[in-house]
Amino acid sequence: MAACARRLAVSMTKYTSNHGIFRSMVPRAAGVGAFRTSSTTSQTDLHPTIRPVNAVERTTVSEYGQYVAECLPKYVQQVQVSAGNELEILIAPEGVIPVLTFLRDHINAQYTCITDLCGMDVPTREYRFEVIYNLLSVRYNTRIRVKTYTDELTPLDSACEVFQGANWYEREVWDMFGVYFSNHPDLRRILTDYGFEGHPFRKDFPLTGYVECRYDDEEKRVVMEPVELAQEFRKFDLSAPWEQFPQFRKALEKAEVDEETQPK
Amino acid sequence: MALCRKILSLGSPMRQLVLSSERCLSVSTTHHIDNLNKKQVEPKGVEALNPVEKNLTITVEGLADITKLTGVPEEHIKPRRVLIKKPTKNAMQSGTNNLHKWVMTFDTKERWENPLMGWASTADPLSNLEVEFASKEDAIVFCEKNGWQWAVQEPPQKPPRAKSYADNFSWNKRTRRSTK
Amino acid sequence: MSSSRLVNLRTARQVKPMLSLDRAEARTRVINLYKAWYRQIPQIAIDYDLPKTQSECKKKLKEMFMKNKDVKDIRIIDALVIKGQMELKETVQVWKQKHGIMAFWAPTVEPKPKDFMGKFLDGHN
Repeated sequence: MAACARRLAVSMTKYTSNHGIFRSMVPRAAGVGAFRTSSTTSQTDLHPTIRPVNAVERTTVSEYGQYVAECLPKYVQQVQVSAGNELEILIAPEGVIPVLTFLRDHINAQYTCITDLCGMDVPTREYRFEVIYNLLSVRYNTRIRVKTYTDELTPLDSACEVFQGANWYEREVWDMFGVYFSNHPDLRRILTDYGFEGHPFRKDFPLTGYVECRYDDEEKRVVMEPVELAQEFRKFDLSAPWEQFPQFRKALEKAEVDEETQPK
Repeated sequence: MALCRKILSLGSPMRQLVLSSERCLSVSTTHHIDNLNKKQVEPKGVEALNPVEKNLTITVEGLADITKLTGVPEEHIKPRRVLIKKPTKNAMQSGTNNLHKWVMTFDTKERWENPLMGWASTADPLSNLEVEFASKEDAIVFCEKNGWQWAVQEPPQKPPRAKSYADNFSWNKRTRRSTK
Repeated sequence: MSSSRLVNLRTARQVKPMLSLDRAEARTRVINLYKAWYRQIPQIAIDYDLPKTQSECKKKLKEMFMKNKDVKDIRIIDALVIKGQMELKETVQVWKQKHGIMAFWAPTVEPKPKDFMGKFLDGHN
C-alpha cells in the first residue's frame, strides 16, 4: 500500500514496451491531469491553490518520452510522466550505459549534467532496489529521470564513464543500499563509519543500527558493543486508516494488483 | 615499498580495487560538444557501447542466502522468529485502508525497567522494525533470503452473520428492539 | 504469479555475475584476499598498536574467513571478497581506528547466558 501511495505522483503513462518488469508496475489510468480537465467549472480552474495544468507542456513532454522510447527500444521498458510534467524513463539494468550515453550525446537530448543518482528500496519486489538517475539538459533547459532496478546481488554498470559526477553518488548508493557498480573507479563507503557493517537505507535495517560505541575506562579506548537502548523508541503508525486518495481509487487498486502479480 | 609489494602480490582485479586511489583516472570518455578543435564524429550506435562480454551469465541454484552480506549480527538471525500477518483493524476506528498489505514483525524480546528513570529499556534493535509487503509470498521469500524463521498468520475469516430487519420485532430473540 | 517466486528461486537460473564466472575464479580471489590480509598483519599490528600478538591476529583472520566457508553462491563469495578488499584498504590506509580493528575481538562484550539457570541468575525470566 505504501508502495502504491508513493506512486501517486505518476499519473499518465504514454508508452509501455512488451518486456521487462516495469511493464505492469505502474498504474496506467490517467491521473491528475486528465481528472482536472474533466471538472470544468471556471471557479475550479481559477482557484489559486490548485496548480494550473499545463497541457501543452504535458503533451510535449510525453511526446518526447515516446521519441526516446522509440530511439532505444531495446532497453526502454516504460515511459511515464509524473504529475509535475516530469519525464521518467524506466529501463532495463543492462541498458544503463547505452541509455545514459544516448541522453548525453544525442543532438535532441544533450542531457550533459547528472544532478542526482539515488536508490530506493522496495522489499516486496523481486528486484528490490531501484536506482534513479536525474539528468539536466542545459541546452534545452529540461530534466529527465532514468530508473533501473536491481537486487542485492546483481551488479549495475557504473555511470562514471558517462558522467563523472556520478562517482560519489554511486558510492553513496553502494554504501546505503549495497548495490554494486561494476567498473567504478573507486567504489568504497562514503557516509558510514569505517568497518560499519550493513546498509542503512534498506528497509530492513533498524533505526538504531546494531552496534553502539562508548568509551571504556578499562580498555582506555572506544569500544563497539551491541546496541542497548536506555529507552526504547516509540513506534508510531502514521498511516491513517481512512482512504486518503478517493479520486485515485482505481489507479491504486490496479497498482496493488500489479504489485502482487508482477511477472517474474 | 613493502606495502607496494604486498599490493602487487594480489591478483589484478583486486589490485585495481586497492590501487584505485593512487591511480589517476583514465582519460574520460566525456567529450565536450562545443569543443570546436575536435572533429565531431557521428556516434557509432548502441552496439559499439555494449561489448559481447557483458552478456555473460552464470548459473545459480538455490535461494541466495544473503545473511553474510546484510550486516545483521548472528544473534539477530538464527534465534529470531518473524511473524507475517496482515495488520489488524484499529478497533477504535472504522477505516480499513491499512489492511491491504502484509507486514513482517519480529518476536518480542525482553524489555526491562531502567534502574535510574524507570524507562522501558531494550537491547533489541529489531523490536520496532516492520517491513511491509504486497503479498504473503513476497514476505516469505524475503524472510528465506535473510535467513529468518518465519510463520504466517492468516487474517481471520469470519463468516458473515445472517441478519434481517424482522429480527427487531421477533417475539423471542434477543435482537428484539423494545417497541412497546 | 508471486507464489511461484519461491519455486523459481530454488531452481537453477541464469544470473548476471558480479566478478567471477566460476568457482575456481572465486576461490582464487578469496585466497588472494587472504594472502593480502595475512601479509598485512605485521604492519597492522604496528600501525594500530594492537595489544594482540601476531599469532592471535592470524588466528582471528582465519576465523573470519572460515565463518563464510559454507557459502556456495559465487556472487555472494564475490560480494564478500569485495567487502573484504574495501576493509583491507581502510585498514592499510589507517582510515580505521583502533576500535574498528579491536571490534573483531570485541573484548568488552560479555556473552549472554543461553541456558535457563544462567538467564535466571542474570535476572532474565
